[in-house]
Amino acid sequence: MTNLLEVRNLSKQFKSSGGPFRKPRAMYAVNDVSFDLPKGRVIGVVGESGCGKSTLARLILRLIEPSTGSLRFDGDDLRAKSPAAMRRLRADMQMVFQDPYSAIDPRYTITRALIEPFVVQGRYTNGTADQEVSELLTMVGLSPGLASSFPHQISGGQKQRVGIARALALRPRLLVLDEPTASLDVSVQAQIISLLEKLHDDLGLTYLFISHDLSLVRYFCDEILVMYLGRVVEALPETDATVRHPYTATLMDSTFAPDPRQRRIIAPLEGEVPSPFDQPPGCAFADRCPRATAICRSETPVLSTAFGHAVACHNPL
Amino acid sequence: MLEVRDLEVAFGQIAPLCGVSFALEKGETLGIVGESGSGKSLTAMSVMGLLPLSGGRITAGSIIFDGQELTKLPEAAYRKLRGGRLGLITQNPMTSLDPLQKIGPQVDAVARLHLGITGQQARARTIEILGTLRIPEPALICDRYPHQMSGGMKQRIVIAGALAADPDLLVADEPTTALDVTVQAQIIRLLDDLVKERALSLVLITHDMSVVAQTCDRVVVMYAGRAIEQGPVEAIFAEPQHPYTQALIGCIPKGLSEDEHLVGIPGTVPTVMNYPKGCPFHPRCIRAEDICTKTSPSLLPRVDGAVACHFPGAAP
Amino acid sequence: MTRITDTIARALSGFRSTPMSRAFGSWLGKIAGGFLALLVLTAIFAPWITPFDYAAQDLTNGNAPPGWPHLLGTDQFGRDVLSRVIYGARTSLSVSATAIAISITVGMTLGAAAGYFGGFFERAVMTVVDLTWSFPDILIALIFVAIIGPGLTSTTFAIAIAYLAQFTRLTRAQIVRLKQETFIEVTINLGAKPYHILLKHLLPNAIAPVIVVGMLAIGDGIVLEATLGFFGLGAQPPTPSWGAMMSSGTAKLFLSPWVIIFPGVVVAVTVIAVNLFGDELIRALDIRDRIRDS
Repeated sequence: MTNLLEVRNLSKQFKSSGGPFRKPRAMYAVNDVSFDLPKGRVIGVVGESGCGKSTLARLILRLIEPSTGSLRFDGDDLRAKSPAAMRRLRADMQMVFQDPYSAIDPRYTITRALIEPFVVQGRYTNGTADQEVSELLTMVGLSPGLASSFPHQISGGQKQRVGIARALALRPRLLVLDEPTASLDVSVQAQIISLLEKLHDDLGLTYLFISHDLSLVRYFCDEILVMYLGRVVEALPETDATVRHPYTATLMDSTFAPDPRQRRIIAPLEGEVPSPFDQPPGCAFADRCPRATAICRSETPVLSTAFGHAVACHNPL
Repeated sequence: MLEVRDLEVAFGQIAPLCGVSFALEKGETLGIVGESGSGKSLTAMSVMGLLPLSGGRITAGSIIFDGQELTKLPEAAYRKLRGGRLGLITQNPMTSLDPLQKIGPQVDAVARLHLGITGQQARARTIEILGTLRIPEPALICDRYPHQMSGGMKQRIVIAGALAADPDLLVADEPTTALDVTVQAQIIRLLDDLVKERALSLVLITHDMSVVAQTCDRVVVMYAGRAIEQGPVEAIFAEPQHPYTQALIGCIPKGLSEDEHLVGIPGTVPTVMNYPKGCPFHPRCIRAEDICTKTSPSLLPRVDGAVACHFPGAAP
Repeated sequence: MTRITDTIARALSGFRSTPMSRAFGSWLGKIAGGFLALLVLTAIFAPWITPFDYAAQDLTNGNAPPGWPHLLGTDQFGRDVLSRVIYGARTSLSVSATAIAISITVGMTLGAAAGYFGGFFERAVMTVVDLTWSFPDILIALIFVAIIGPGLTSTTFAIAIAYLAQFTRLTRAQIVRLKQETFIEVTINLGAKPYHILLKHLLPNAIAPVIVVGMLAIGDGIVLEATLGFFGLGAQPPTPSWGAMMSSGTAKLFLSPWVIIFPGVVVAVTVIAVNLFGDELIRALDIRDRIRDS
C-alpha cells in the first residue's frame, strides 16, 4: 500500500511577543509528529482540547506554516510548493470543518457555495454548473431543491452536508475531517458519520479524522493516534490493540459506555492538562500519571515500538 | 421529592413545552435527555422558577417540590427556595462565576443568605465543601479569582456554590458539556458520590445517553417539548419502547464489534417554530402511520414508567 | 435555553422582510425617513419648486418678515429665505454626500488592505489614519483653505479627511473579525487567491455597517459644512449654504431673526432625522455590535 501522506517530525511553535508587562513566551502546539497515511485508510487523531489536533490538521494542509518538519503528499514535497502550485494542489486535499454554522458565507446561496470550488480552481463551465450542484447535493443525501436556499434557512446537519459536498466537489483524494460532528445533535451526528462511511467506500477516499470522542474514533477509524500536549503519545495500529500508554488508558476509562449494566468505577484521574507554555522537562503527563517515576520528570519519552506498537512512555502498561 | 405533572410553557404564541410529567424520589438521580430544542433546559428553568427571566410562563400543569406547589409561588418565596433548598448547576462554568470576586466570598454569600450564619461560619463551611469536592488546599483556593482556575475547577466551584446552602434538590443543566472527557468523568463521579453521601435528589439534564447510562436511576427522554418515554434506566436501555429512544441509543457507537453500523435518525431535529402536528416524531419515524400525523399519542404505562407512542414495542 | 429564546425572538421579528422595510417599520423610522426623502426630492427639484430666484436681490424689500409672497421672509438683500433654504439643501447634501463617498471609498480600501495584510503595513496605515483623527475638523479645513482657497472643494476635502479614520477603522475591524470565520478558511483551502477572498467574501460582508455609519456621517458632514460656511470658509456668495445664511443673519439677529432661525432649524431637523433613521437601520440590520467593535 502506498502512502498518500507522509508526515515527518512536524512541529509548530507559537510565540507571543513580550510587552512592557509580560515576558515573551513560546509553546509547541504540535511537537515532533510523524506518521504515514496510506491510500484508502482512515486514521483518527484523538485528544482533549489544547492537545494540538486541530493545529495538526491545518499544518498538514498548510493553512498554517509548520515551523519544522516535512510533509509529503503522494510523494511530492508539500513544503517546497510555490503558493500558486499549492493553490492548485488544494483541489486534491480538502477539509471538513468543525463549525458548520460559520462554514458557509451567509450571503451565499447553497448553489453559489457549491460552485465556488470550480470558480476558484478555474474549472467553472456555465452549462454544467446546475447539474453538478444537484449531483453533489444528491451525493450527500440532500434534496436538489435546497440549492437556492441561504445557509440560515437550513439546519446544522444540512449545513454540514453542504460542507462535505463542497469539500468533495473537486474530487480530492485526501479529506481531513476536523471534528465534523462535534457541534451537531447526536441523531444528526450518526447520520453524518454513516454518510462519511458511505463516501469513503464509494469514492475510495483517504481520511484523517480529528476528534475528541474516543468511542467515535474507535468506531470510525482503522488506526488511532493519541495526542497529549502537542505530541503523539501512542499510535494504535488497530482500534482494538492493547493500550500501552497510561494516558490512553485514562481516556478509555473516562469514555462512558451507553449501557447502564456496564457502569464503571473510574479511578478518577486528578488534575488537568497543564499549560503548554514553558513546560518542564520530562513527560508532559507525569504529574497526572499513576505510574510516573523519577525518569518521567527528567527525560521526555520518545515514540518507540519496543512494545509492539509505537508508545512514548517510560513505564508502559 | 419533586413531581412535575403535565407541565406546559408558553412564550407568547409559541409553546415550546407541551405536556411534561415526571417524578423524582429522595436520593435519586433523574436524567432528562434530549437533543437541542427538545425542551430539556426549559424544563429545568421551569422547576427553578427562572422562566420569567426570558419572557416565558407556565400555562398549565403543576410542579410539586416536597409537598409545595411551585407554579403559584410568589417570586419572593421562590427566591428563598432557589439557592437554598433548590440548587442549580449551569452549563458554562466560565460565565457562572463573578470574575471580579474571589472564590471564597462567592460561595460564602450563598450560605450566609440562606442559612443566616456569620461570615466566619460560612467560610468554614465553604472550606469544608470545597474539601469534599476534592479541591486541593481549599483554604488557599478561597483567595483566588475564577480566572486563575481551569474549567474543571471552576465547575467544581459552581457545584460548591450550589451545595453551600445544603439543598435537597440539585438541578444540573449539562454540567459537563463544556469540559474535556477526563474532566467530565471526574465531575460526573463527583456528582454521583454527592447524591449518595448527602441523600440529595439530582436532576441531570444532558444530551448524552452515555452519561445517563452511567449515573441515573431514572430517565426521561424528551423530544420536541414532550416527555416521550420514561422509566428506570436499566429498563429504558434494555427494552426501549419508543422508536425515538431506540434510535437515539442506536446513534451512539458502542464499542468494537466490526458489524456495528451507525444509522442516525433521518431528517432534522424540529425547532420550537416547527413542531410537527400529531406525534412530533412522526416525520422521522419508521413506524409512523396515518394516526401519528393526526393525533398526539397519550402516555401509556410501561414497566415502571410511561411511553407516548401509538405503536410502542421492541425494535423489529 | 438561549437558543430557544433566540429562535422565538427571530421568528417574532419576522426575518422575511428587508432591512429597509424594517427601518421604516417604526413610527420614528417613518417620520425620519419620510423627512429625508422629502429633503432629497426638494434638493433635486429645487429650480421647479422655489417661488423666487435664490440670487435675485430686491433691496427695497430687505429684511421683510415672513408673510406673503415671501413665506419665510427675506434677508438683508431682499432675497427670498425659503428659496435660499431649498437651494441650501442642494449645497449641504451634495457637499456632505460627496465628501462621505470619497471618505468611504478611500477608508474602505485602506481599512480592508490593513485588515487583510496586517503586519507593518497595517500599523503604518492605522498610525497615519489615527493622526488625521487627532486634528480638529476645523483645523483640517483651515489647512485646505490655506492651500486651495475657500470654497466647496476645500469643504468637501476637509469633511472627507475628517471622517476617513472612522471608515478605515470600521472596515479594518470588520475584516479582522471576518478573517476568523470558518468560511474564509474554507475558501483559502479551496485554493482561492487573495483578491477572490477579499472581493467575494470579506468586503461584501463588511459593507453593511460601513454604509450605515456613512449615512450617519452625512448628518455630521452637514453640520461641518454649515460650520465652515458660517465662518466663510465654505460656499462663497451668492451660492446659498445653510451655514453662510446663518452667518449673514447674525448682523441683524434681533431685527430679523427669521434669516438665521429657518436655516438653523432645517440643519437641526435634518441632522436629527439622519441620526434617527440611521439608528433604525442599525437596529434593522442587527449590526450594533459590529459597529461598536471598531
